[in-house]
Amino acid sequence: MLKTEQVDSYRFLDRTTKKLVESWTELETPREIPWTPLSKPLEESTVALISSTGLALETDHPFDQDGERKNPWWSDPSYRAIPYSARAEDVNLYHLHVHPRLVEQDLNTFFPLQRLLELEVRGVIGRSAANHYSYMGYTLQPQILLDVSVPAMIQQMQQDGVNIVVLIPV
Amino acid sequence: MSVPRLAAIEYPLGFLLGRPDDQVGQSAVLHSTLSALSEIKWPGGVVHLPFEWPQSARRLNANPPQMPPIVKYLLRHPWHIPNLLSRDIPDSQLQELPSQLAYDIRG
Repeated sequence: MLKTEQVDSYRFLDRTTKKLVESWTELETPREIPWTPLSKPLEESTVALISSTGLALETDHPFDQDGERKNPWWSDPSYRAIPYSARAEDVNLYHLHVHPRLVEQDLNTFFPLQRLLELEVRGVIGRSAANHYSYMGYTLQPQILLDVSVPAMIQQMQQDGVNIVVLIPV
Repeated sequence: MSVPRLAAIEYPLGFLLGRPDDQVGQSAVLHSTLSALSEIKWPGGVVHLPFEWPQSARRLNANPPQMPPIVKYLLRHPWHIPNLLSRDIPDSQLQELPSQLAYDIRG
């Protein structure tokens, strides 16, 4: 069952953020949208998640928050891999525009690792990928993210046999 | 700008899968999102997921405990607000950017 009415993309955004997003959207020029047909049914596919919340394992190198504090026009363009078995207590959230308590509240509201594993057990998907990924979503200058981090994530996902990627913005 | 397939949901950012501890709701959203893969037949296609954010959770938000650095900066330098709206980073700030190429990018 699908909803038929218009999607309100700004329903939960404050006025300032709405204006910002509208301005940035207007800057975009139309371009060809990439398309890859599904290579196999969902129940045989390997699924990875990508989150823009700047999540990193507690044991991993933190995202550079001080760099953004020193220059608010910059944000860390790197990424982190998060294994499929990670729990809330294993990760930290470094995005300075998001409350870090989201992790302890319930990681699955924005990075549903456990829900994905449950869908694997139920046979809805083939399996949860060995690794999932996160980067810092506030990126005014995305060139390094696009030219270096994204290809590196793609390469790792190809090595892990990933067929489907779910991007979850924050 | 678009992604190949879009599963749209009118939930607040930080809670796109659902409310904290609502396993059934989160699972339903994730399952519907994945089902949209086969429902969308063309690049840029959109499926509007059939979920309503409950009134009882209307105060839930992901706002940070402190103002983000760019907000603090713009309060002190309001003449740079148009720069942010147009993603046109002021020259003075561009020179201050960390050496990104030297940055450890590894996941």
